Amino acid sequence: MSQELIDAITDMREDDVLRITNELLDGGASPLDILNACKAAMEVIGQRFETGEAFIPELILAGEMMTAVSDILKPRMAEAAASDKLGKIVLGTVEGDIHDIAKDIVVFMLDLNGFEVTDLGVDVPAAKFVEAVQETGATIVGLSGFLTLAYDPMKETVAALRENGLNVKIMIGGGQIDEQIRDYTGADAYGRDAMAAVALAKEWVKES
Amino acid sequence: MFVRPDNWKELSPMERRKVRLDNWQNAPVEFMSPEAEANYKERIGRLRKIYDMEPHDRPIADGFMGANEYVVRRKGMNGKDMVYNHEKLREPLLEFHNEFQPDTAVSPLPYPGKVMDLLNYQTYIWGGQKLPDELTIQAVEGEYMMADEYRVFAADPTDFWLKKYIPRVMPALGPLAMLTEFPRVSENVDLIDMILPFGLPPFQAMLQTLMEAGNELMKMLGAVGQTGAMIAASGFPSMGFNIVKTPFDYLGDTLRGTKGILTDMYRRPNDLLAACEAYVPVLINAVVNASDRNGAPAALYVLHKGADSFMSQAQFEKFYWPTWKQVMLALYEEGITSYLFIEGSYNKRLQNLAEMPEKSLVCHFDQTEMGPVKEILSDKQIIAGNVPASLMATGTTDEVRAYCGNLMDLFGDAPGYIMAHGCYFENTTDDKMRAFIESVKR
Ligand code: B12
Repeated sequence: MSQELIDAITDMREDDVLRITNELLDGGASPLDILNACKAAMEVIGQRFETGEAFIPELILAGEMMTAVSDILKPRMAEAAASDKLGKIVLGTVEGDIHDIAKDIVVFMLDLNGFEVTDLGVDVPAAKFVEAVQETGATIVGLSGFLTLAYDPMKETVAALRENGLNVKIMIGGGQIDEQIRDYTGADAYGRDAMAAVALAKEWVKES
Repeated sequence: MFVRPDNWKELSPMERRKVRLDNWQNAPVEFMSPEAEANYKERIGRLRKIYDMEPHDRPIADGFMGANEYVVRRKGMNGKDMVYNHEKLREPLLEFHNEFQPDTAVSPLPYPGKVMDLLNYQTYIWGGQKLPDELTIQAVEGEYMMADEYRVFAADPTDFWLKKYIPRVMPALGPLAMLTEFPRVSENVDLIDMILPFGLPPFQAMLQTLMEAGNELMKMLGAVGQTGAMIAASGFPSMGFNIVKTPFDYLGDTLRGTKGILTDMYRRPNDLLAACEAYVPVLINAVVNASDRNGAPAALYVLHKGADSFMSQAQFEKFYWPTWKQVMLALYEEGITSYLFIEGSYNKRLQNLAEMPEKSLVCHFDQTEMGPVKEILSDKQIIAGNVPASLMATGTTDEVRAYCGNLMDLFGDAPGYIMAHGCYFENTTDDKMRAFIESVKR
C-alpha cells in the first residue's frame, strides 16, 4: 500500500493524489491496492473528524478526491470486490428541506464505518423512504433535517415507515432537531452528530 | 437619519456610541395615548439600560428573531401574505402587540414580493411564486462567483457586485454590465462612455423596469412603514439594525456557495484571504453610510460558516476572524454596536469574542452552551438567546417556562441580558409565547 498516496490524501494535496495515482498505475500497481490506500486514508480523516481535528472542508475535499481517484480506476477494474458490510441504511433529508452538507457527512462517516448506505438526497418524500427500505431491505433509516418545517415531514416519514409494517430503527438529526423532536416524531433516537449516527447504527446492528 | 455633531472627530468610540443610541432612543414618535407614550419610554429606557449595561429592573424578552412569523401566522396569515400582502398583516400585528404587551416590537421581515418578481430574482424562491403559499422565502445556493474570479473581485469589489453579481442573480438588471468602470470618469470626454449605455434600448428597458420596481418598493415601504409607526405609537420600541455579514460569509454564502468556499480554503487560500481583505474597507464604508442614512445604531450580523462544526479553530482564526474583527472594530470606532446572531454553536469561539472591547457586541446565541457564555462574556458584552425553536414548536408551556427559568437563573443578574429565541419558528401557541414573554418578569 502506498504510504505516499495515503499521506497526500490526508494532507489534502489534491494534485499530488492524482499524480501519484497515475504514477502507481503506470508502475503496475493494482487498482485494488490503490483503493486500499484510499480506504486507509479515509479512515485517518474519519478519525480526525471524530476527534475534532478535521471539519467539513476536509471531508468535502476527501470526498472529491475519492471521486476523482475512482474515476481514474473505474475503467481498469471489473468490479470492486464487495467487502462485507455491517448493515444497510437508508438516509436522506426530509421533504421540504434541502440542507445536504451535514447529511453528506453522516453518509460519509457511516460508509467509512462499514455500512452500506443508500443516500436518497434532499427533499425526500415519505413514500420514497418506504420504497427504498422495501427495495434494499435496510434495517436502519436516518432522517436529516435542518428546518422547523422539517418536524412534520419527519413525523410523517416515521409514521409511513411504521404503517407499512417495516421493521426499521429510525434515527434523526440536523440543525434544529433535538431530543424534543425525537419525542414529537416518534423516531427511535436522535443523534447530535455523525459520530452519534455511527454509534447508533453499530448498536442497532448488534442488537438485531 | 443620523447627523453627526460638529465635535464628532473629538469623540471617543463610547461617546459616539452614546450619540447614536441617544438619537435612536429619542427619535420622534406620535403616540396614540399618554399611556402608550409612558409604556414606550419605559420599554425603550430599559432596552437602553441593557445596551449600556447599567443597572435596570429586569431583563427583557425579545421575540423579533424567533416569533417574527408566528405573530401573523397565528391569525391565519401565510408565507405569501408576508411577501405580497403587507397591508393585510397590519391588523394581526397590532392585535398581537395589544394582546401580549411585549417588551419590543415584533414583525415579519419586509420582503418586497412584487419587486423580486420584476427583477426576476434568482437567489430566492418564495411563497406565491415557486414555493407553496404556506411558506415564506428560501435561499437557493449557487456559484455566483467562479473560482477564477477571486482576483477580479478583490481588484474592485463594488464593481464586481454591480456588474457581475447583480446581472447574474437578477437577469432583468443584466444591462448594468454595460456600465463603464468609474475610475475612468475623470475628463469631459469620458462622459461619452459613462452615458452611452443610457442611450441604448436594453439599458433603457432596464431603467423602465427599475422605475417600476422603485414604485412597487415605495408602495410596500408605505404599508410596512405605516404599520411600524402604528406599533411604535401604541408603545412598542424596536431596535434599529442594518443587516450585514462577515467578509468570509459574503464570499461563502453569497458568492461561492458552501462547498465552493470550504474547498477554496485548500485550493486557493491566498486568493480567498486577499478577497476578504479587499472587502473590509468597502464593507465598513457601506455599513457606516447605511447607519448614517437610517439612524440604526447597530449592525446585525447573521453568522454562518464560522460556526464550530464548519471549520477548525485554526481555520477560523486564519480565514474567518481577522477580517471580521477588523470590520467590527472599525464600526466600534464609529459608535456602531455589532449585534451578532450566532447560528449553530460557538462553543470554541468565545475567547475570540472576548477580545472585543467592552459593550461593542450583543451576542445572540442559538445552540451555544450558555454556562461558559455567562462566565467568559457576560461581564463585557450584552448577551441574548437561546430558547430553542424545537421547544417553541413542539414543547409544552411548562417546558418553555422551565427553560426560560433556567436562563433567568443564569443571566437574571447579568449586566445586560435579552431573553430571545435561538432561531425562528413558524408555529407555536399563544400560551408558550406568553410564558416566554412573562419569564423575565419574575
Ligand atoms: C448552510 C445553511 C444553509 C445552506 C445549505 C447548504 C447545503 N447545501 O446544505 C442554504 C443557504 C442553501 C440554506 C438555505 C436555507 N436555510 Co439554512 N442554514 C444553513 C446553516 C448556516 C448551517 C447548516 C449546516 O450545514 N451546518 C453544518 C453541519 C455539518 O453542522 P451540524 O449541524 O453540526 O452537522 C451535524 C448534525 O447536523 C448531524 N446530523 C445531520 N443530519 C443527521 C441525520 C442523522 C440521522 C443523525 C443521527 C445526525 C445528523 O450530523 C452532522 C455532522 O456531524 C444553518 C444555521 C446553523 N448553523 O445551523 C441554517 C439554517 C438551518 N437554515 C435556516 C433556514 C431558515 C434556511 C432557509 C429557509 C432560509 C432562507 N431564508 O433562505 C433555506 C431553506 C432551504 C430549504 N428548503 O431547505 C434556519 C432554520 C430555521 C428554521 N426555523 O427552520 C437555520 C437554522 C438558520 C437560522 N438560524 O435561521 N441554509
